[in-house]
Parts: sequence; C-alpha cells; structure tokens
Amino acid sequence: MQTLIPNQPKKFDLITKILANEQVAQDHYLLRCVCPEIAEGALPGQFIHVLISEESELLLRRPFTIYTVEGDQITILYQRIGAGTAVLSGLQRGNPLRVMGPLGNSFRVPPNLNPAIVVGGGAGIASLMLHAAALRQSGVRTLGLVGSINAARLLAVVDLEEIGVETHVSTDDGSIGHHGFVTETLTKILDQPQVYEIHNPFIYACGPHGMLRAVSKISSTYRVPTQLAMENRMGCAMGVCLGCVCKIRTPDGGFEYQRVCTEGPVFDAEDIVW
Amino acid sequence: MDKNSPSLETRVAGIRMKNPVMTASGTFGYGGEYADFINLDQLGATVVKGITSVPWPGNPMERIAETPSGMLNAIGLQNVGVDGFIEKKLPYLRKFHVPVIVNVCGERMEEYEEVTEKLDAINGVAAIELNISCPNLHCGGMSFGVDPDLTHQLVSAVREKTVLPLLVKLSPNVTDITVIASAAADAGADGLSVINTVLGMAIDTSTRRPMLENVTGGLSGPAIKPIALGMVWQVYNTVNIPIIGMGGIMTRDDAIEFFIAGASAVAVGTANFVNPRAPLDIIDGIREYLEQNGINSIEDLVGSLET
Repeated sequence: MQTLIPNQPKKFDLITKILANEQVAQDHYLLRCVCPEIAEGALPGQFIHVLISEESELLLRRPFTIYTVEGDQITILYQRIGAGTAVLSGLQRGNPLRVMGPLGNSFRVPPNLNPAIVVGGGAGIASLMLHAAALRQSGVRTLGLVGSINAARLLAVVDLEEIGVETHVSTDDGSIGHHGFVTETLTKILDQPQVYEIHNPFIYACGPHGMLRAVSKISSTYRVPTQLAMENRMGCAMGVCLGCVCKIRTPDGGFEYQRVCTEGPVFDAEDIVW
Repeated sequence: MDKNSPSLETRVAGIRMKNPVMTASGTFGYGGEYADFINLDQLGATVVKGITSVPWPGNPMERIAETPSGMLNAIGLQNVGVDGFIEKKLPYLRKFHVPVIVNVCGERMEEYEEVTEKLDAINGVAAIELNISCPNLHCGGMSFGVDPDLTHQLVSAVREKTVLPLLVKLSPNVTDITVIASAAADAGADGLSVINTVLGMAIDTSTRRPMLENVTGGLSGPAIKPIALGMVWQVYNTVNIPIIGMGGIMTRDDAIEFFIAGASAVAVGTANFVNPRAPLDIIDGIREYLEQNGINSIEDLVGSLET
C-alpha cells in the first residue's frame, strides 16, 4: 500500500456554497457549487467527500465523483438512495456545503485510442462524464453506453451528446433505447467491430458491482483493456480507515485489499478479484 | 500563542507531549495521509494502526457501516506487519517531533512479545500500546482483554521485552472494566487507553444479511461516548496509572469531559474520518477552555469531577 500517490493534486476541505441542486431525473439530482480550489486541480474520476450534516446522527461523509468542472464550479450527479442523499437533495441554493477533495486517482489513456467506450450503469455514468469530456477535448472518438432502469431515470445522455459522444441507451424495461442491460449493448458493439468502427478500443465503466463484473467478463472475452471506477461504501476517504477496500490481484498470484479512496477509485478490470 | 496562555505540555505515562491530544489507532494511518491538512508536529502524539508480526490482509468486504451517531467496523487489522512498518512507515514519521505510539496486536502471546521486542530495539518509537481489545479477531486480540489472568500474563510478558512506556488498550466488552484495568496495572502497564470499540452489529432487513461481512464489528463515534466516559471514571477510581481517554470525541467539550472524568490525555478517533482538522480544533479548544476558566494546566482538570 502506498501512503501518498505521486502527482496527486493537493486536497482541500472547504465550505462551499450551493448554486443549484435540482432534480434531473427520477430520484436523481445535480448539485452545483463554487469551489475554485477543487475545480482547478480535479482529474477525471476523482471525487469529493461531502459532509451531509454538522449534526452527528449521520456521522460519515458521502463520496461523489465530480461530474463536471466549469470554471470555478463543480457539479455532482447523485441518486437519492438513503438517509444521507435524502438530506443532501433537500439542500437549497445558497446553503453552505462542506466538501473535501479532490480525492482518488484518475483514468489511464493509452495512445491511439479509437474509440474510448464509456459504460455507465445508473448513476455510475456520473463518474465517467469528466473523463468523456477530457477525451473529447483531446479529439478521441468516444462511445457512451448509458444504462438505466427506465426512461425516467436516464442520466447524462444530453450532456454526453453535447460534447460529441456517440450515445447508446439501454433500459431494463425497454422504455427507451435497447430493451435490456447496458452490457448487452457493449457485447453487440464489440461483436461488430466493422459496423461500429472499433479499432483500438478501451473501456471505462462505472456502475453497480454486478454490472462491472459483467463488463470485466466481456472485456476479457474480447480482450479489450478496461478500467473500472469502483464505488464502495466509504469511511474517511483519506486512506486510513481501510473500510472501502477492493480485492486486487498481486504479481505473486495472491491478492491484497487496496483502498478505493486512495489506490482507486479507478482500477484495471483484470486486476480485480470478484 | 501569547505568553500568558496556559501551557498544554504534559507528561503522561512517561510520554512527553506538547499537548494532551493524540490521534487514536486505526484512524490516522501512518501520518502521511493527512499531510495536506495537519502538521503532525502539532499533535500531542499519534498512535499508529495495530501492527502484527507479519502483514495481515484484513477482512473481506463489507467492512464498515454507518449507524446512528456512529459507525461499525470490522477491518480485521489489515497492516503491513512490524518489519514493513519499520521499513516503510516509520521513516516518514521520524521526520517529525511527534511521539509515535505503536499499537501492537497479535493472535498469540509470543507474537505480542516479538513485535514489542523489535519496536523496542529501534529509534523513533515513543511508546507501545498493547491492543488486547480488538473485537474483530477470531483469536487473540480481545480474548486477552476480557480475562484478567490472561491480561496479567500478557502484560507481564510484554513488560519484560521493553523499557518503553507501555500502554494497554482496554475493551469495553467486559462485565467489569476495573478488574481488567487492575490486572494490567499490576502487571506493569504505565498507562491505560480507555476504551476500544464496543461490539455491535447492524442488519439489512431487505436481505436479512448483516451489514458487515464479519457479522459483528466494533462501534465507534459519538454513540459510544457516554460508555467511554463512564468507564474512564470507573478506571480512574480504581488504578493509580494515567488514563488516555477515547471513544466518540468530536469536539472540545467532549475532550474536556474526559479530562474531568479522569483522563490525563485524550485520543481523537472516528472524528478524523469526518473532519481531518478535528485534533487541531480540539487542541485549540482545550487551550481556550483553560483560559476561560482560569485553569493553569491540564493536570488541574484531570479527575476534577464535582460529585
């Protein structure tokens, strides 16, 4: 285990101001705050650790990947799923918000990548948006495979299309796009490399564990290098509580538990022991 | 700090500290993790994560769960082992002037002795904290700390291996903590860390599965503060060696309560997960409290409970 990740931007713990916190899909919200210190250094895939309440009842902070950086503002896209995010979704424009960040590592971009395939399940797409934007900015052709339970919960498609990502939507109930899992769409695309112009692909995925496990399997079958952004239950996000670990293969054939908050959240899919 | 400010300097169990605030084992890593937020030299002392004779991988996921005003953990003492600690972690800590207290754990008595002996032989370790209270081990750990005879045997054996100040971290998961405290004191402990986490559990009702893979875990955070405070008071009235009070300290007033109940120093634990500056805020707050109340030194506050 490394103690410090080299070249990681300095971490801040700041009280920011909420500029907007709006529902953008069923149970999903986009929160925007002013945070120049974090906006300046944030890398794609990095996250912030948000203090939900100064009261101790909800003791721990909650981690959210930075969705976009716009000037001195950052946004997070999150699902209201438990007590913490319920409180968060009730915060209003003008309310203070204590956030720590930017935290964690970032994605790897190999040379001559064509195309990058970002695969997001549910709110997992939030972890890939900043990366997709960086890829598009460097002129990398990018496919965006976005999955959700239904049309009402579909996220990020408009934002992805705006930056020139070729999107493919899948929903569990078929209410929009492909009727089925986002991983089926991934298989379909990899099965027809001529049709989809797959030359030197690299997959970046984030979503529920079951989905990521399926993506890993596909990436090993089709031999496509893949990185996964893991979203584990997290305590400190500073690398000390060892609560958020992920089982990672070691060169000697064994494994070790690495911290999602520090060595991650981005890991090579082939290194993860499921 | 102006020259009239009360001094926070103190000497507890033979450990000289700039102030009586430590960071608790397992909540502050090996110091470097918090470098962007804290200058280690500002701390009274830092207690590093439990160290064993060989590296331990730790428990499978899930390892933590939030509960009302607290959290459960069952990390399983994932650590680099004593040699890894000496080679990879201690050199960084040595750059600072903060006393480094090493929490020592093991499955067998010989393991505690071996680790202590190795730490005694090197520079840069200010004290040993014997962990006889980790609730997440299937053998060793807490099984020593719930039995007064085993506690006495273990502390005596380790005492032979070191001239360093020896703290013993007590478990709250006992019928009468004063019996264990006395056993540790009789066996030659220089101080007692009171308390480790409280055994607990949480269940996901939709799956009927435990929230932790280990099923049970150790509860920490504000939820356990009254338990810790009560036990510090009980131990203070039983033994004559100093107490380091810990358990749910989040604020200045939490820390002050521990001093009043009989702690000579305090350790900040779970608060570090929420507020990386918590120990510094608490140090400033203690100084302010002493000033406001015309108290010259922290010693005057220790055990000053009005009953």
